[in-house]
Amino acid sequence: MKLRFSRKALCIPYAVFLLFFVIVPMLVIVFYAFTDRNNHISFQNFIQFFSDPTKLSTIVYSLVIALITTAVTLLIAYPVSYILARSKIKKKTVLLLLFITPMWINFVLRVNAIRELLNWIGLLGEANYFNTVLGMVYDFLPFMILPLYTTMQKIDNSLYEASADLGGNAVTTFFRITVPLSMPGILSGITMVFLPSMTNYVVSDMLGNSKVTIIGKFIETYFGSDWHMGSMIALFLLIIVFVSTIFTGGFKSEENARGANL
Amino acid sequence: MKWKKFASVALCAALLLPSLAFMSGCGGNETVVLRVFNWEEYIDVGGEGSYGDDYLGLGKNAPSVIDDFEDWYEETYQTPIRVEYSTFGTNEDMYNQLKLGVTFDLVCPSDYMIMKLAAEGMLEPLGEEFFDKSDEHNYYVNNVSAYIQGDKENPGVFDRGTLTVDGEPVSWSDYAAGYMWGTTGFIYNPEKVNFNENATFWDTLLNPDYKNKVTAKDNVRDCYFVGLAIAYQDELLALKERFNSGELTPDEYNGEVTEIMNRTDEETLKKVQKTLVNMKSNLYGFETDSGKQDMVTGKIWINFAWSGDAVYAMDLAEEEGVELNYYVPDECANLFFDGWVMPKGANKEAAQRFINFLSKPENAVRNMYYIGYTSVIAGDEVFAYIEDTYGTDGEEESVPYDLSYFFGENAVINTSSDQLFRQLYAQYPPAEVTPRCAVMDYYGDADREINELWTKVKGETLDGWAIAVICIAVVIIVGAILLSKFGGKIDFFRTKPKKGYELIKQEPYQPKNREEK
Repeated sequence: MKLRFSRKALCIPYAVFLLFFVIVPMLVIVFYAFTDRNNHISFQNFIQFFSDPTKLSTIVYSLVIALITTAVTLLIAYPVSYILARSKIKKKTVLLLLFITPMWINFVLRVNAIRELLNWIGLLGEANYFNTVLGMVYDFLPFMILPLYTTMQKIDNSLYEASADLGGNAVTTFFRITVPLSMPGILSGITMVFLPSMTNYVVSDMLGNSKVTIIGKFIETYFGSDWHMGSMIALFLLIIVFVSTIFTGGFKSEENARGANL
Repeated sequence: MKWKKFASVALCAALLLPSLAFMSGCGGNETVVLRVFNWEEYIDVGGEGSYGDDYLGLGKNAPSVIDDFEDWYEETYQTPIRVEYSTFGTNEDMYNQLKLGVTFDLVCPSDYMIMKLAAEGMLEPLGEEFFDKSDEHNYYVNNVSAYIQGDKENPGVFDRGTLTVDGEPVSWSDYAAGYMWGTTGFIYNPEKVNFNENATFWDTLLNPDYKNKVTAKDNVRDCYFVGLAIAYQDELLALKERFNSGELTPDEYNGEVTEIMNRTDEETLKKVQKTLVNMKSNLYGFETDSGKQDMVTGKIWINFAWSGDAVYAMDLAEEEGVELNYYVPDECANLFFDGWVMPKGANKEAAQRFINFLSKPENAVRNMYYIGYTSVIAGDEVFAYIEDTYGTDGEEESVPYDLSYFFGENAVINTSSDQLFRQLYAQYPPAEVTPRCAVMDYYGDADREINELWTKVKGETLDGWAIAVICIAVVIIVGAILLSKFGGKIDFFRTKPKKGYELIKQEPYQPKNREEK
C-alpha cells in the first residue's frame, strides 16, 4: 500500500477547520433560529422578529449609527491615507504606524480610556449617541486607513503624470484617477467598518452608558434568555453581511482589484 | 485502501483509550474529584489582601479556602480530594452550561435560578444526613441563622420557598444550602442628597432633581423589581401603614409584599414598562459594574446597588476620603440569596462536605471578608468578627444595634452612629427592615414576556410610519445600487462623453492563463 499525497491533500486541514468552525456553527444558528423551545420546527421567531417594532427600530438605529460611523471614518481616513501614500515624507511608515498602533492595544482598555476622557470633558452621560459614534470612529479608524493606504500606494505615478500632461488640474486628477483607482480600498474599508459597527455593543454600553442599544446588544441579551430569538437576529445580520458583500463585489475575484480586499 | 488503514488506526485508538483510563484510575489511593461551579470572585482565594493575610499574618502565601478544604478533607476522611473549581458570570450563563451537558457536583445559583433548576428536575435534593444536627461535621445545620433556615414553627426565608417540583410544593431548603444573602437598595452621597430623613422611595430614580445623577442595574430582574415597586407604590405604602399600626404581623406583611413583588399579569407588565421607559430618560445610565467607581468620583449621587457591592463601594470611598451611605427604600426591597445546589448525578457526599466546610464559621468569616456579602452562617466567630469590625469600645456616642433576629438572643452590638446607614446596615439590615424584604421568584410562564418588555425598555421604538418610510428608502437605495451594478445605466464615476464623441466599451485587461487547458 502506498500513500500518495497530492497537493489537494494539503487543503484537508483547512476544509476540516472551515467545516467545524464556520459551517457547522452557522447551521446551528439556522437550526436555533427556526425552532422553538421544545426544538420543534417553528416560524414563530421569524414572525415575531419582523412584527416587533422595537427590534426593527433598533435595527434602523444601528444602521444609522453604522452609516454615520462609516461616513465619518471615511472622511477622516481618506485624506490621511492620501497624504501618507502620495507625499514624499521620509519615514512615512512611522507615521502610518502611529495611526495603526492603537490597534495593538487591547480594545477594552482603549474604550475605557476614551470613557475617562469623555468623563473629564463632561460629555459622558450627556451625549450618549455622540459618544457612541465617537468611540466607534476611533476604534475602526485603522481598519479604514490600512486598505486605503495600500490601494493608493499602488497607483502608478505615471498616471498622475499623464493626467498633468493632458491638462488635468489637481481636482480632475483626484476625481478621475485617485478616486476610481482607490475604489477597491474604499469598498473593503467600508465593509470592515460598517458591519462591525452595527454589533459593537461594548462601545455603546461603555460610552453610551447602556442607554444606547444597538442590535448586537439584543443578540447578547437574548442569548441570556432565549437562544432561538438570539439566533434569529444573528441570522438576520448574517444575511445583511452576505447581501452587502455581494454589493461591494467581495465575491468576485476581481481582475482590477489592487489587492486591498483584506 | 486508504480508508482501511484509517479505520484500523481509529480502532486501535478506540481500544487503547479505555485501558489508559483504567490505568490512571487504579493508581494508589483513589482521589475524589469535586467539580464546583461558582460566581466569579465569590470565594476567598487566599494571597494578598485575603483574611489570612490581613488577620492571620500569613502574607502572600495565605491559602485559599479550596486548598484548606482539600487538606481538611484528607485529614478528616482519609481520602484525597481534588477540587476542580470554575466560575460563571451570570445565572443564565450557568444555566446554559448545565443545559449543554457540562457536569458539576456543586453549583451556586441565585434564588430564582434554583427554582427554575428544581422545577425542571435538574437538581438532586440534599440528603437527610445533611440535616443531622448530632454530626459534629455538619457545620451547616449547626450554624445557619434561624432567619435563613428555621424549623416548622418558625420558618426562615429558605423554608418559605414556593418551589414546585413534579407538582409538589417544596421549599428552598430541600434543595439548596445557603451561601450569601443580601438586599437591594440605594448607595447615596449624603452630601448631595437628603435621604432617610423622613422616607425614601424607589421613585427617587424618576425624580427630575436627580436627572443624570442616578443609575440602575443593566439587567431585567433588578429593573423589573424597581418598576413594580414604583408602579405599586401606593399599595405598598398602605401595607406599611397597616403594619406600623400593628394590624399586620411581620410575617403577614412580608407575605403581602412578596405577593405584589411577584406579579406578572398583563396589566402589571404594562405599568412596569411605562415606568421603566420614564425612568430611562432620567437615568445617568444602566450599569453592571461601573456604578461603584462613579459614586466614589462623584459623577453620580445615587446608585441602585446590591448590598454586597454597597459594602465594597463604601470601603472604597472611605479610602478616598468620601462618605457614602446605603439605604433600603421604605416600600420594599429585594431579598436575594445564592445557594449551593447539586445537579443530578453529583457526588453528593463530597459536595455536602464541601458545603459544610464553607459553613464552618471561621471559613464563613474568611469568605465574607473577601467578598463583602453576608454569609447565612451565624456562628459565634461570625458575630465576633462583626463586633470586632463595627463595634465601638463603649464610647459615649455609641448606639446599640440589634442583630438578635439573625444571631439569636442578646446579639446586640454597640456601634458608632454613622454605621447606622453604612456597612453594618448593608450587611445586616435592621430587624424593622427585614419584613419589607421580598424574595422574587422565577417568572415561569411570564419569563418570555418580561424579557420582551426589557428589550422594549432598552431599545428604541419608532412609529409604524417611520419604519415604513425607512423600509421604502432602503428598497430604493438597494434598487439604485442594483441598477448601477448590473443595469449599466447609471455610472457614478464616468462623465458622459462630449457631443460627437462616443464612449468606447473596453474589455478589462486580462492576463493570459499560464496553463491553457
